Amino acid sequence: MKMSVVVRTTTKMTSPFLVTYAAYIMLHGHLSPGGGFQGGVILAVAVILLITSHGYRKVRKKFKFNWASLIESSAGAMLVLLGIAGIAFGAFYSNFLPTEGGIILPFNIIVGLEVGAAFTFVFYILLRWVESD
Amino acid sequence: MIPLMVAFPLLFAFVIVILDTLRAKRTLIKAAFLLGVVLPAWVFLTERGREIVGGWNRAAGIEVGISEINAPFIAGELILFTVVALYSIPYFDFRNKKTPKSLALLLLLHAGLMGAFIAGDFFNFYIYMEIASVSAFALVAFSDEKGSKRAAFKYLILSLLASYLFVFAIGIIYMETGYLNVELVAENALPSRELQAALGIAFASLLLKAGVFPLHGWLPDAHSIAPTPVSAVLSGAVVKAPAYGMILLFSALPPRETFREAVMGLAVASVFFGIAGALLQKDAKRLLAYHTVSQMGYVLLGTASMNFVGAAYYAMAHSLFKGGLFLSVGSLGKKSRKLGEFGYRNAPLMAFSVLMLSLAIGGVSPFIGSYAKGIISSGLGGTWKWAVTAGTVGTLVSFTKLNYHLSKGETGDLAPIEKLSALVLALATLCAGLYLGAEPKLSDASYIFAAVLVFFALKFSGVLEREVRGEAKDVGKDVNVLVAVFVTFMLGVLLIQWP
Repeated sequence: MKMSVVVRTTTKMTSPFLVTYAAYIMLHGHLSPGGGFQGGVILAVAVILLITSHGYRKVRKKFKFNWASLIESSAGAMLVLLGIAGIAFGAFYSNFLPTEGGIILPFNIIVGLEVGAAFTFVFYILLRWVESD
Repeated sequence: MIPLMVAFPLLFAFVIVILDTLRAKRTLIKAAFLLGVVLPAWVFLTERGREIVGGWNRAAGIEVGISEINAPFIAGELILFTVVALYSIPYFDFRNKKTPKSLALLLLLHAGLMGAFIAGDFFNFYIYMEIASVSAFALVAFSDEKGSKRAAFKYLILSLLASYLFVFAIGIIYMETGYLNVELVAENALPSRELQAALGIAFASLLLKAGVFPLHGWLPDAHSIAPTPVSAVLSGAVVKAPAYGMILLFSALPPRETFREAVMGLAVASVFFGIAGALLQKDAKRLLAYHTVSQMGYVLLGTASMNFVGAAYYAMAHSLFKGGLFLSVGSLGKKSRKLGEFGYRNAPLMAFSVLMLSLAIGGVSPFIGSYAKGIISSGLGGTWKWAVTAGTVGTLVSFTKLNYHLSKGETGDLAPIEKLSALVLALATLCAGLYLGAEPKLSDASYIFAAVLVFFALKFSGVLEREVRGEAKDVGKDVNVLVAVFVTFMLGVLLIQWP
């Protein structure tokens, strides 16, 4: 379903900012309020806004269904691999990076990708039922 | 390294989804599936003891471990799951697009069960039990059979309701003691009414998830309609996770005498209700599902008499023989599951396996069932022991019925893996029994004799001709009734815990 020109223009303008904000929240999760899950949800909202305003068919050409599935599953696998990598340093999920926050930063980024892709994925699947563009 | 038992199945579940999206070859998906199933067994064989994930301190960290109490749970699950994995690859057979998803969900189920069984704190246990149940809902709904969506919906609503109440009770425990770790809760718990209420709520919700009478309403539908390998895992392993939760709960907050007595009464009621329900079924898989209600009663009897090792061994025994029975009856009755319309007349190997498994579930020595029943009844007082014996005879009556009908019918072609999986599990029950030291007893022969007599008496009196299936037309009404029963039951438990 295509919405009016006002809505389409506004969502087109806000979406890039939403992605930037999502990246900020993911990358600063270990220092300030926020984190992977919150960042991921905002990331998904950027895509979902475009889908609701521009219609499923048009957005699907740019953001492919399989990409969402692929990002989601590979992020999940990376999350487990991050834990297994910790075994080389003593324990499962041990904090082996010497930086500030350690593995929380990569953890947050992966969780963000996982959650963002999963929400988009769920939205795509639900829209399949109402494919009345 | 113990957390790797959870990490491997989880990793390979994601890998299967990646391979499926990339349209990889089937052999790769199969290999990933089998690796995810088998690798936890390697960890289980090499690791022992307790550890904190990530090396944090104990009060804040997640403690996992393999001890005397949870090792039987894990061993039973691993043996069953390996056999089920080998069975399920030809069973699903990449007929449609659902197959890789089913395999990924089975691995998630495996990861969830492993995580729940090694958990040493309540919250972690809750999370992994939920992973297992959510994959179970999806797997039940994936069945092609009529009524699968309905059964899955009923299972979903009731199980999630119980989960919310369980996590609420965990919240109360955390508020009162300041810890989630089971041992730390046990050390820091002071007598309080809030903790007693939390114990009651958590226990009632776990009872629902374990499918113990009177909260079993969802179980026969979900377990009988699911695809055969899934039924075997659901009955064999998924209901054991809440049973392990009860053990964790009772070891952290020891219940009072009145509560324990009430739970033991409930367990015995569950044993006999399950047998009565099973005797009145015409559908072979439903009959086995009612036996799960009955067998969970024994596990609960062990837990309530604070005989955790006995409960753990019974859970392991039940995993082996119930999984084997579901796999064999499921492969025999591919066309029709109605008793009398199929059987093992032309499949001698299957007949042998089914007979062995039936003797094992009845608790005849030297199978593992008798060993586990022996430990459970050794922790019981005088009159309760009779309940265990009567339960043995009742179970044997019901399995005489199953074998009577199976011996009359014939089956179609069976794949080698179908014959082999049942035989492997049947031999596992025998070998585990012999290994643990069950000795042949003469009294078992008299139980079998009594059971056969009772069966023919019941058959000629015409009781077994009836079939009881109370079910509303509207699934909403069904759910309403079951939720009302659950709420009433929980209020009853809270009244016992009141003073």
